[in-house]
Amino acid sequence: MSRSVWKGPFVDSYVLKKAEKTRESGRNEVIKIWSRRSTILPQFVGLTFGVYNGQKHIPVNVSEDMIGQKFGEYAPTRTYYGHAADKKAKRK
Amino acid sequence: MTEERICVGAISGSFGVRGEVRLKSFCADPEAIGDYAPLYSEDGTKTYTLQITRAVKGGFAAKLSGLTTKEEADAMKGTRLFANRDALPDLPDDEFYHTDLIGLEVLDTGGKSLGHVRAVHNHGASDLLEIHGPNLKATVLLPFTNDAVPTVDLTAGRIIADPPEGLIPDE
Repeated sequence: MSRSVWKGPFVDSYVLKKAEKTRESGRNEVIKIWSRRSTILPQFVGLTFGVYNGQKHIPVNVSEDMIGQKFGEYAPTRTYYGHAADKKAKRK
Repeated sequence: MTEERICVGAISGSFGVRGEVRLKSFCADPEAIGDYAPLYSEDGTKTYTLQITRAVKGGFAAKLSGLTTKEEADAMKGTRLFANRDALPDLPDDEFYHTDLIGLEVLDTGGKSLGHVRAVHNHGASDLLEIHGPNLKATVLLPFTNDAVPTVDLTAGRIIADPPEGLIPDE
């Protein structure tokens, strides 16, 4: 059963406070959070969160297309080292 | 001088009775393995041309040059296939092959060495460089962005990094 619309998206309050504080300071820093269940809100776009995966904080640069997803979706709890082969990385 | 080769696939067994093999591709687009022929064995002594015949569960069925019987194909099980690095197409600026990034030295803006790139990950947000260094207790993930990685110098074998605050633990 999906979440009732009238409640709005769920975000842990400390995530909102930390994001607001970082945005106001204008510093380029990783916002360490443990709340994988929090929804990514439009005001988080452009910030970098360090999302805990049970072992360490995975840096997640929030972009517009991530709005509405949960932070935990971008910080997997298992690491897979595949073969590099012809895989590419793009610097954004 | 030996040419640089990268592992692009492996043979997981035989397929059928006519000397075809089951091929597991490690490429981003699995079918692209056929474009990088000729492929080499791990020691570089054997060369193979490759023709993909069909898609099968977990990979492809393929015909390798020099294999005509099932027994020969069975004997190839576990063989890793390598392609010349030069066979990969050139990429536009700001796009890099993982194989080129892995092993590069990472320096901070002050010229101090942070470590080496161990792997490149992408968990859906952006590409991340996994940095491993003697001064780091655990590996560090660095976002592969213009802000965090202003310079990638493949010829010099180094990356200049300007990591955001809090990413690299203080010693």
